[in-house]
Amino acid sequence: MTRVVKMRNIHKSFPGVHALKGVSLNLYEGEVMALLGENGAGKSTLMKILGGVHQRDKGTLEVFEQEIGELNPRSAMEHGISIIHQELNLCNHLSVAENIFLGREISKNGRLLQSKMNEIAQSILDDLNVDIKATDIIGELSVSKQQMVEIAKSLSMDAKIIIMDEPTSALSIKEIEELFRIINELKAKGTSIVYISHKLEELAHIVDRVTILRDGEFIEESFFNDIDIEHIITRMVGREIKEKFPTIQRERGDIVLEVEALNAGHLVRDISFNLYAGEIVGIAGLVGSGRTELTRALFGVDPKESGTVKLYGADLNIKSPMDSIKAGLVLAPEDRKQDGLCTKLSIRENITLSNLDIISNKLGVINRKKEKAMCDTAVLGLGIKISSLEANADSLSGGNQQKVVVAKWLSRESNVVIFDEPTRGIDVAAKVEIYRLMNELKENGAAVLFASSEMPEVLGISDRVLVMCDGRITADLITKETNQNEIMRYATQFEDKRAGLEKGIA
Amino acid sequence: MGYIKNSIHRIRNTRGIGQVITVTFGLVIMLIAFSFINPVFFSQRNVNNLLRQIAPILLIGIGQSYVLITGNIDLSIGSVIGMSAMVSATLMSHNVAPIVAMLVALSGALFIGFLNGFLVVKGKLPPFIATLGTMTIARGIAQIVNGNYNTNSIGEHAQGFREFFYYGKTFGIYNTVVIAIVVWFIFNFVLRRTRIGRYIYAIGSNVEASRLSGINVLSTTVVVYVVSALCASLVGFIQVGSAGMGAMDAGNGYEMFAVAASVIGGVSTLGGQGLLVGTVIGAAIWAVLENGLQFAGAPIAIRNIVIGIIVIVSVLLDVVLRRRTTKASIKN
Amino acid sequence: MKLNIKKLLALLIVSLLVLVGCGSNGGDTPSGENGDEKYLIYLITMDQMDQHWVNLSKGAEAAANELGNVEFKWVAPDVKDDAKQIEAINNAISAGADAILLAANGPDAVTSALQEAQAEGIKILYVDSPANFPAEQTLATDNKAAGKTAGEELIAALTAKGVTEGDIGIISTNPSTDSTNNRIAGFLEAFEGTGYTVLEPQYRDGDPVRSQDAAQNFLTSGVVGLFGANEGSTVGVGNAIAAESSEVIAVGFDYSDNIKELLLDGTLLASMVQNPEVMGSEGIKSAVKILKGETLDVEVFDTGVTVTTKENAQ
Repeated sequence: MTRVVKMRNIHKSFPGVHALKGVSLNLYEGEVMALLGENGAGKSTLMKILGGVHQRDKGTLEVFEQEIGELNPRSAMEHGISIIHQELNLCNHLSVAENIFLGREISKNGRLLQSKMNEIAQSILDDLNVDIKATDIIGELSVSKQQMVEIAKSLSMDAKIIIMDEPTSALSIKEIEELFRIINELKAKGTSIVYISHKLEELAHIVDRVTILRDGEFIEESFFNDIDIEHIITRMVGREIKEKFPTIQRERGDIVLEVEALNAGHLVRDISFNLYAGEIVGIAGLVGSGRTELTRALFGVDPKESGTVKLYGADLNIKSPMDSIKAGLVLAPEDRKQDGLCTKLSIRENITLSNLDIISNKLGVINRKKEKAMCDTAVLGLGIKISSLEANADSLSGGNQQKVVVAKWLSRESNVVIFDEPTRGIDVAAKVEIYRLMNELKENGAAVLFASSEMPEVLGISDRVLVMCDGRITADLITKETNQNEIMRYATQFEDKRAGLEKGIA
Repeated sequence: MGYIKNSIHRIRNTRGIGQVITVTFGLVIMLIAFSFINPVFFSQRNVNNLLRQIAPILLIGIGQSYVLITGNIDLSIGSVIGMSAMVSATLMSHNVAPIVAMLVALSGALFIGFLNGFLVVKGKLPPFIATLGTMTIARGIAQIVNGNYNTNSIGEHAQGFREFFYYGKTFGIYNTVVIAIVVWFIFNFVLRRTRIGRYIYAIGSNVEASRLSGINVLSTTVVVYVVSALCASLVGFIQVGSAGMGAMDAGNGYEMFAVAASVIGGVSTLGGQGLLVGTVIGAAIWAVLENGLQFAGAPIAIRNIVIGIIVIVSVLLDVVLRRRTTKASIKN
Repeated sequence: MKLNIKKLLALLIVSLLVLVGCGSNGGDTPSGENGDEKYLIYLITMDQMDQHWVNLSKGAEAAANELGNVEFKWVAPDVKDDAKQIEAINNAISAGADAILLAANGPDAVTSALQEAQAEGIKILYVDSPANFPAEQTLATDNKAAGKTAGEELIAALTAKGVTEGDIGIISTNPSTDSTNNRIAGFLEAFEGTGYTVLEPQYRDGDPVRSQDAAQNFLTSGVVGLFGANEGSTVGVGNAIAAESSEVIAVGFDYSDNIKELLLDGTLLASMVQNPEVMGSEGIKSAVKILKGETLDVEVFDTGVTVTTKENAQ
């Protein structure tokens, strides 16, 4: 088989951190190679070097047996390399077709041939079986559709080497299936793919070989069929993870939250459920079922239309997050970077942001000693890996960022702690730490509610599962007594509006 | 017939056309109202004058729109008007041929444009700060170039210059208006139908994504700032043409007129959006107000309040409507 | 790496700003070789660009050079702005000025800074525009009287032509400038009881081009007379009339080469020419007198206007 990429002894440093320490990588024609490692292991950095976004400090790079010196995004494209980035890199104001051809527009005598570009773009989109028009504006599409556009962009470049960095993080099951189908087609055509993902269960469908990195170092390269997931995790983390889903047992306490006939927009309809002290309840459902909207309605971000919410028997009139926080009901939102943290502020400022009332006096002056004490407790208690409290919040890895978000709420006595996608984009080892955190909350008597699209996670750590479909709760199950298939059934139980009946979709 | 239908369809589906249509209605209502209050407003003489009063605002509006669409701003544009006016007028008042005087002034403007582009991209200075600095530099040059005095008359030999830029007419319309129309046509075509035009929108929408798509952010940014400076230069020449001399504070405050004209016309100060045809309407509204309120005999307080309200309403429309497209997450 | 370039550029820009600020200080008289004590006198005007201030400063500089015992400094913001003028006064105080000649932006705009100056024992004299704060002397044009004179000249010329009624247009700077407001007030006084209608004044900040636009509009609406309340406005008025070869009669204010040309070719009837050089030179002389401990003859020194026409323009 021809080797299409050969990277040897790659070194890359950023101010203060030696990100890649002599990493090597081989990629062959027509194969899918999974590039695995914890957050911060160097996977994205290595691929950005291959894609021309970063320059390597040391080491050699050969593409199609040609030695490459300096590379930039444009010349990388010319070599047949294209990256599907983890963070969407699309221009919101431009159309799908304009984004797909960005930087490579087709023009004649200086005039852009927009209709031609639209045509070509549409055929690629149709190939992907997605319901997107080439003339749609990116800013108006859902995140999953935007991710499909990123994929289409790469495909349109007829690249020989495609790097996919967490391509399925926002996709629905159906879209993931389409992607895998395309990947298999590309393999058959001889295209090589580097696949980065934390969703280890996905790999079996498409991956041929595996390269594992840890802490910027090359650990292992092998065929996927020769090893198993446990082995991969151990090599990624450097130690054995005995329990993927730690659980603790405790008796459920009194009723904490009573939600009755809650309505908030068309994705939160007639919601009723209860939460008890000392339990973890998961919310499962498809993309668009209303899980996020429910958490936002409870926290007071979105306005309620009708219904009641009672905390310890007393009516809660929550009109804003401020009311919610005062009542002891808190939320760690889905989009950490955008909604959970102030990325340009320091870690210290983020941890104390919602707790300034606790650490300042009546005049509003912040007590520095109390502030430091609160931060130290949080960092120690949650095991947040930081270089200094003054570092910017966006310098932390995904897992540590999530811990800072949670630290904000743990520094107050909270009765109800809600998580929306608690471990999205977090690596295996850090996930376990977040689960332990949730268990700690449970043990201390809080009611923990979390929405998640990762079924194993829902089944792994919750005591109960609420299943949502199209804005309604279709089931309230005890986790021990249910399974993935049953949950899926309830998640697809759409209302037949004409007949007014419950009708499952096969 | 099909071509007309296609064109109408294309126009209706052009992004950003919504605000343009709204403000056009506003402009038409204004024109009708002012004609009603004082019929002299609609006389041929005033219409000709009015068009010539719109032209300079449109020219700097075009320059500022180019910069705004990339998500930047150009505060130096007013001072470059002054700098070009003073440089060209000083030379001409010392009997230098107008063409030469213009070339010297243009190269000065080019320099400011380049400087702005480099400061913003390479120096990573916020555009507000960078162009604030060049604004003061350009104004300083305007003062020094004739020893801190306004210039003398540019002389008889510059009569052709004055005709060309201000007093002459072509096909019955003032040259100034023709110049503005031609410039508008060229820059509108570039913006809508060429690659560099596409890159201007892309950078304003998402500069990182553009960079990663292989777009040269530095050269595109330099281009828009140079365009802005050149437009300012043209207005400087028009001013010298009309006054027959150079004034050190020429163009003072014009950068804000340019922003207002752009924003009223639908160019977003957040970048990535806006149509140059909107800038035409914005410039027209600005000039029509000043002209019409004079014929209506309105006290100055009214004008200030009206202008203020129009700008705020346009910006509100700008921010509120654009919020939809900048937030990426919409669950379906 | 990034931070250094940013800092360097910021530093560069700031130092350039400072240079421009300093460079625009006109008359820096070299300190004399004689060991006599020199009085440090600051002249603070409204801006640096209007020829009026430039001439005022020249008059002051000449007097300072003549007297020999004055260190003269001219400071002004780049544009008329209250906060900037206050800053200029504060800088003069910190520099240890003995006296300040001030053209105040407005009657109450800079009082706070003047109080501080007085507390330091600095002598204050007003040139061109006084403020509501006690000072040693005010040397200025009586703007209202001058405005009235302008009005009278215009009426006389119109009547001589046989035009006894019609619209009159005024183009001024902005409603917050005292001097031009006073001129308009005087102008209106002259028109009281006459058959002419004075229209709403148009404010164009003294920008000659924008003033020209406003004048064009007046011409289109059929005025019989025009009045420009300051140099820039007058230039605009003149250019508009010249462009349309109009028979409309216009009077203006202030003087420059351009206004001279407009007077000589008959476009403008007359201009009220202030004597800024007199304000400057007499201001310096008065300041020195006060600093020496002498008393002044008058509290208000009217530096007057010359009605300049085609005949006496030079």
